[in-house]
Amino acid sequence: MKYETVMGLEVHVELATKSKLFCACSTEFGSDINENVCPVCAGMPGTSLMVNKKAVELAIAAGLLTNSEISPRITFDKKNYFYPDLPSGYQLTQLYSPICKNGWVEIETDAGKKKINLVQIHLEEDAGKLIHDDWTDTTLIDFNRAAVPLIEIVTRPDFRSAEEVVAFLEKLRSLLSFADVSDCKMQEGSMRCDLNLSVREKGTEKLGTRTEIKNMNSLKAIAAAIAYESQRHIDALETGDEVLIQETRRWDDSIGATFSMRDKEDATDYRVFPNPDIMPVFIDDEWIDAVGSNLPETAQDKFIRLTQGLGLPEYDSEIITRSKNLSNIFDETLKHFNNPKEVANWIIVELLSIAKGDNKGEDDVRIDCRKFAKLIELVDGRTINRNVGKKILSLILEEGIDPVEYAEKNKLGMINDTSLITSTIQEVLSENPKALEEYRGGSKKVHGFFVGQIMRKLGGKANPQIVNKLLVEALKEI
Amino acid sequence: MGLFIEDYKVSGADTVALEDSIMQKGKQVTAGSRILDNFTSPFNATVVDRLLDGGFKISGRTVMDEFGLLKLSRDDDNTPSGALRAVSEGISAYALCNDLFGRYRGEAPKNDCCYIHPTYGTVSRYGLIPLASSMDQIGIVCKDLSQGFKLLSHLAGKDPKDGAMFPDSSYNYGTTDEKITLGVPRSVVEKADEGTREAIMDFIKEFSSTDINLEYFDLYNQVMYILSSAEISSNLSRYDGIKFGYRASGYTNIDDLYIKTRSEGFGLDAKLTAIMGAMILSKDQYGPYYEKAMKIRRLIKESVKFDTYKVIVLPCRISDDPYENLALYSLAPLAGLPSVSFSYKGHGIQLVAGVKKENLLLSTWEVSMA
Ligand SMILES: [Zn+2]
Repeated sequence: MKYETVMGLEVHVELATKSKLFCACSTEFGSDINENVCPVCAGMPGTSLMVNKKAVELAIAAGLLTNSEISPRITFDKKNYFYPDLPSGYQLTQLYSPICKNGWVEIETDAGKKKINLVQIHLEEDAGKLIHDDWTDTTLIDFNRAAVPLIEIVTRPDFRSAEEVVAFLEKLRSLLSFADVSDCKMQEGSMRCDLNLSVREKGTEKLGTRTEIKNMNSLKAIAAAIAYESQRHIDALETGDEVLIQETRRWDDSIGATFSMRDKEDATDYRVFPNPDIMPVFIDDEWIDAVGSNLPETAQDKFIRLTQGLGLPEYDSEIITRSKNLSNIFDETLKHFNNPKEVANWIIVELLSIAKGDNKGEDDVRIDCRKFAKLIELVDGRTINRNVGKKILSLILEEGIDPVEYAEKNKLGMINDTSLITSTIQEVLSENPKALEEYRGGSKKVHGFFVGQIMRKLGGKANPQIVNKLLVEALKEI
Repeated sequence: MGLFIEDYKVSGADTVALEDSIMQKGKQVTAGSRILDNFTSPFNATVVDRLLDGGFKISGRTVMDEFGLLKLSRDDDNTPSGALRAVSEGISAYALCNDLFGRYRGEAPKNDCCYIHPTYGTVSRYGLIPLASSMDQIGIVCKDLSQGFKLLSHLAGKDPKDGAMFPDSSYNYGTTDEKITLGVPRSVVEKADEGTREAIMDFIKEFSSTDINLEYFDLYNQVMYILSSAEISSNLSRYDGIKFGYRASGYTNIDDLYIKTRSEGFGLDAKLTAIMGAMILSKDQYGPYYEKAMKIRRLIKESVKFDTYKVIVLPCRISDDPYENLALYSLAPLAGLPSVSFSYKGHGIQLVAGVKKENLLLSTWEVSMA
């Protein structure tokens, strides 16, 4: 390969605080439009800003997880620009004293392990959201997201392939979501990233013309955008048909291409200066240690606990520790029914397949773990059979039923009564002489047909192992 | 022009007029600017709550220069601001305002009034329409400084709603036994007219005093102007016609809305300051102007040590040029220091003391009045 792609990332992560960065307004997702707005975050005059301590702690946690230096004193700066979603005409950010500096994250790809260096992590506030109403041709503003705390993680241009970028983002998502710093959902916008990309001849030092790509909201989109943009640069270098300019480009996922935004982004002068309204926040070692010692288990630690401590297969452990949500469901369910193997099995096989059918990802499945545990216990203790269990699982997810009450009320208990099962087998055999004829003729698949008929007569509740055993015996006697 | 925007028709010894920059719940608050037309405050400024808790009555909301900006563009308006007139004409016992550029401090003595500019961070600014946040401070127009400080004791003290305050929950203002030595910057005093110079010479006779050199005095007004313009331009950017206040009618797109709203809503001084501040903060000018001014501000703060002297004596006027006079009023806001101004033998005198040393100011005044 003749060319090398050089990339750096700016990742915005919404912090999982209950309130906004400088006021007490809720950060809850999905509230009514402009429900979470007060004079402070609406940019009204006469208000004063107090730094949310929890936001600072989550940023410290992010710093610790990425091996960063934590600044002992942080301040905020005003980044001035006019846009209707920015209530006060400036965004509060940290240009002059970012909370974390010089961190690194280790990633692993097929090419091996590699350190990605971070320039800094800084705290800043999010903006509101413009909503265009086509019907009245007006633009309205929802300020619920205004002043929600974010951290921006800025890497050095250390990436050379899309695999590295994706591995880094997955690692970051795992680190931050397991530490409850953020839920890191790209689809909901709680994790967003901009990419700087340039291409140079392999072996050369000098960087090529750099473009910045925005609007990629999935890992797939990022990989596709990198492939597209690298090729565009290479084509430009080889053919000279297009002259590359330093600019910001927008990824269009439906077309699969990047387009120049022509927003003069690079020409904007943000007039950043220190905010005189906010007193500096001092971060001493004691505070950093307290945050560090309260950090929850990382995905990596959890994987080791699951495989070595609980004896789960690596495959199962890998799936469960890929998502903070699944991990939580696993731990919580295990508290109520201490059988790691069964719990893992039900999460991976049943819960995830229902979620997939509902178009939900690993992070979006929600279940009452106490009910889930009871259900697994019912099946494991052979009170109900697995098929009935699957149906009950759907009902727990859809209607929140209690599995024990439901099984009792609907008499779903497993039928283990051998004489009832034997008489039902005899009924089925005598009602289906043709199938019996086929069986005699050597067709083994009618066995399954008989099982189905027997189960149907018994309302699907018969113990399948007993049915099987007794059916085999009955057929032998014929 | 009347002196009240709203006159609550009360009178007496416990009445306080509010400059239109101090927010009152449910009242229209414009800070003297059309850009805040139709803006109704959703909350009370902390000082308003404290006045009411202290049993004071609010006499009305007074007219003011737009946002209290420095009037460099024209000096034709010689009528004192509403807050000052309310007190000098005996309509209200006190008035509260934000005197960033010295208009009240300068004019109070001429109108037989006194002015108290408290230490930065001792009086809550929650509910004060901001001008330059690192220097804004609510002050008091009064007839008599000892009465004024009594009012201040109701207002001062930590407010959890203001993030830039000293932790003290209250302050005890009164006279002090501390020995008063006046610092007299001769080179500045010499710039005042003869009457003022003589008055100052008489004034200092009553105390022990020492000549001092106010380092960087020539830069005071420049630093003040550069830093305040930068902060004000950023603080004015919230007025965009989108969320509250004035919005121009008839616009074709967002830029047009901004341009028309601000063209019609802001007066000339606001426009000049916004543009000046934006230039000062721009990439090319930030280093030579803003950063340099910040450095000098720090040097100024460090240069007034209050070691061999406790109180600095300054005249209230040294020139016909408002920009030159600004130098006299810059030290207190730039260094966060308390100051008072009053009339002595018919001439305006200003005193500046160290952080939270208001009692020295009161004692000095009382000795001179005795
Ligand atoms: Zn708020």
